Amino acid sequence: MDTISDIEKGSSLGRDAWVRLKKNKMAMFGLWFFVGITLVCFLLPLLPVLPDPNATSPELRSLGPFSEAVANDGTERFYLLGSDNLGRDIFARIVDGGRVSLMVGFIATAVSLLIGVVYGAVAGYVGGRLDSVMMRVVDILYALPFMIIVIILTTFFDNSLWLLFLAIGAVEWLTMSRIVRAQVLSLKEQEFVDAARSLGLSNGQIIFRHIIPNTLGPVIVYTTLTVPAVMRLEAILSFLGLGVQPPNASWGSLVKEGADRMISDPALLIFPSAIFALTLFAFNFLGDGLRDALDVRASKD
Amino acid sequence: MIPRPLTALAAATLLFAGCEEERPVDRATREGILLLGNGDEPKALDPHLISSVGDSNIMRALFEGLVTYHPSEDATHAPGVAERWEHNEDYTEWTFHLRDDARWSNGDPVTAGDFVYAYNRILHPDLGSPYASMLHLLENGEEFNKGEIDDFSQVGAKAPDAHTLVCTLREPAPYFPDLVKHTTWLPVHKPTIEKFGNMTDQFTLWQRPGNHVGNGPFMLESWRINGGVKVIPNPHYWDRETVTLNGIVFYPLANNFTEERAFRDGLIHKTYIIPPDLIGYHKAESPEYIKLDPYAGVYFYRCNVTKAPLDNKSLRKALAFAIDRETIVKYVSQAGEQPAYGVVPPTEGGYQPHHGVEFDLDKAKAYLKEAGYESGADVPEFEILINTSESHKAIAAAVQDMWKKHLGIEKVTIANQEWKVFQTTLRELRYQCSRSGWIGDYLDPSTFLTMWRTGDDNNQTGWGNPDFDRLLTEAANQIDPGERFAKFREAEAVLLDELPMIPIYWYTQKYLLDPAVGGWHPLLLDNHPYKHVRLDPSKIPSE
Repeated sequence: MDTISDIEKGSSLGRDAWVRLKKNKMAMFGLWFFVGITLVCFLLPLLPVLPDPNATSPELRSLGPFSEAVANDGTERFYLLGSDNLGRDIFARIVDGGRVSLMVGFIATAVSLLIGVVYGAVAGYVGGRLDSVMMRVVDILYALPFMIIVIILTTFFDNSLWLLFLAIGAVEWLTMSRIVRAQVLSLKEQEFVDAARSLGLSNGQIIFRHIIPNTLGPVIVYTTLTVPAVMRLEAILSFLGLGVQPPNASWGSLVKEGADRMISDPALLIFPSAIFALTLFAFNFLGDGLRDALDVRASKD
Repeated sequence: MIPRPLTALAAATLLFAGCEEERPVDRATREGILLLGNGDEPKALDPHLISSVGDSNIMRALFEGLVTYHPSEDATHAPGVAERWEHNEDYTEWTFHLRDDARWSNGDPVTAGDFVYAYNRILHPDLGSPYASMLHLLENGEEFNKGEIDDFSQVGAKAPDAHTLVCTLREPAPYFPDLVKHTTWLPVHKPTIEKFGNMTDQFTLWQRPGNHVGNGPFMLESWRINGGVKVIPNPHYWDRETVTLNGIVFYPLANNFTEERAFRDGLIHKTYIIPPDLIGYHKAESPEYIKLDPYAGVYFYRCNVTKAPLDNKSLRKALAFAIDRETIVKYVSQAGEQPAYGVVPPTEGGYQPHHGVEFDLDKAKAYLKEAGYESGADVPEFEILINTSESHKAIAAAVQDMWKKHLGIEKVTIANQEWKVFQTTLRELRYQCSRSGWIGDYLDPSTFLTMWRTGDDNNQTGWGNPDFDRLLTEAANQIDPGERFAKFREAEAVLLDELPMIPIYWYTQKYLLDPAVGGWHPLLLDNHPYKHVRLDPSKIPSE
């Protein structure tokens, strides 16, 4: 009886996708790694176990992993992944930096997703003169030099992390809107849109209920590419002195500091870049798996 | 960002590292071209507009002063454009006799008039030279510079004939020959300057390759933005036989780590500096390349006394007494620097260094109370401004943490700016606390003290104290060296009591040098005369 009622009940699109995703081992690794690293970066600093990532003891510089040492002022310190050039705890700095990097990645991507999808869908669906105008605006914004805009923004406003989120998000939505528009152009000619229209749905309802959900596949793939791209952008900006300010860290700035000291202290490069690379891998596997799970047709191609 | 050619070159060299290709630096050695890392991109090639050490390095190749630097002895004056010079009894009038064969790089003779013209230009208020105060020593120089008198003929620099220059000073200066070696006293070529603009126009086209005219052992061949300044021997230079190099390239390599890698990959003969964190590595791996020499300079934190909270003298003292300088020089800067407890470094001709500040937490806490703060947490937020560099960043992070650890001051942030922007921010007093350094212009305590006079261009803290100014003037009028130094010590004590600047350490010169470079001796002021530098192809290391 149960089995029959189960079959009768059918299963939702989301449930199907989840079942398919679970079969993809790499994607599941990506998902768990992503959840794990996010929890560690955001929750671990709330617990008292982690040392202050900016506390220096220069006399305990460049220690290896698992070292215990006593600072000049008598405090005992334990370095899980060793210490950096100022005797700061590398593990604590990676966790702290991860918070900044992931936050930049998520928030900036969310901003770009929101603007890009709506903008592209409207332009593609309405078409005609409005489409031309909206896409020319995108072209113009594309032509503006990103770095110079960010530098101008930082001189007008204060140099803060929120500005960084905003600036990156405001630039990254351009490609997203183009991708969505291209999808919508082909989707709006299909029968289900005609059907929806003949049922009397408004343009807004058609766009948000029928068109946007169908663009999800490419959007998710592009989003997974955007998150690492944004994290890299943040690293570039931090290097130019426009992003994270010392002594605070982000993964980008940690990798940069480590790369400089590569010959004298390789651990400073290896640990942050390994974590950074693993996270980027995880995002890509997860995105790939999600695309396969959500868009059965594309995955069979 | 514009890719730096040298970085691209570095990448290319890495690619071909396996092949048996000659390193660029060895090829340059055979060709007699000296390749130098030189810090930031030059601001100008005009001796009257620059103020950084890197820029003055290029000036020494392109121009020659009345007196020049000796290749190995700090105290010896080598004749430059002036063959000989004499002074009156109380050192206030100096007569320079210029050599007949001194020539500009276009063949024109160098005359005493060129020097008078140059002094007129740098002191002119319309030019706005950042370093004009060096010439305030000339009689009426300061008045002319401040626009109080308009007639330059009243200033104490005269050319009775083409080969005689007479400088009249407002106070005795036994160290005057040392002073005129400095870039601010270099001559400029009047027809060239005026061909491309007025005398007082800044940054005109005269500095471009092809237009530039100098009187130094070398002349400008090319200047590419972020690509380097290349100079070649000046055929008209009076001492052409001494010059053995066929050229020098000054590469702007602002990132110390990139520069160090360029050296390791065989792209430059000498680095401008070496990052502290790599000193240990080079001491162990390549002790024959690393040089750590004494250097007349002080590294300090400027406090803007016109802005809260550092307008509070007791707070400045609390901050100064909470910095553990021993730890910084030993573990952070790491090049054998000396912790600075005073302003004037121990290199200044027998001047006994002061011990005005120290690391003393009890005193620091007492000063914090005196400043009106119950605990460090009450100190309002302020910012340490640094120019972009890994080593300044490390020191700032260490200092910030010391204030936090020892005094409980939580709200200190660090911000960094690119060098040119940074200099402007300082000049316009748009900062609260800032990393700074000062390298002596000549070997005398006054070079470290006169900059703190009220309103001096290089003061940049808004600080001024009439007692301090008076003591310096009194010192300047003393001929007896002992009395003079005593006055300087009194003045320094005033400065260290009020602390518009918090001394951190006294510099050492730290760099990597290719063994093929000869004639490069340790100098306290690090002003090496390039005409004596040789490249010896027999010292190219064989792999």
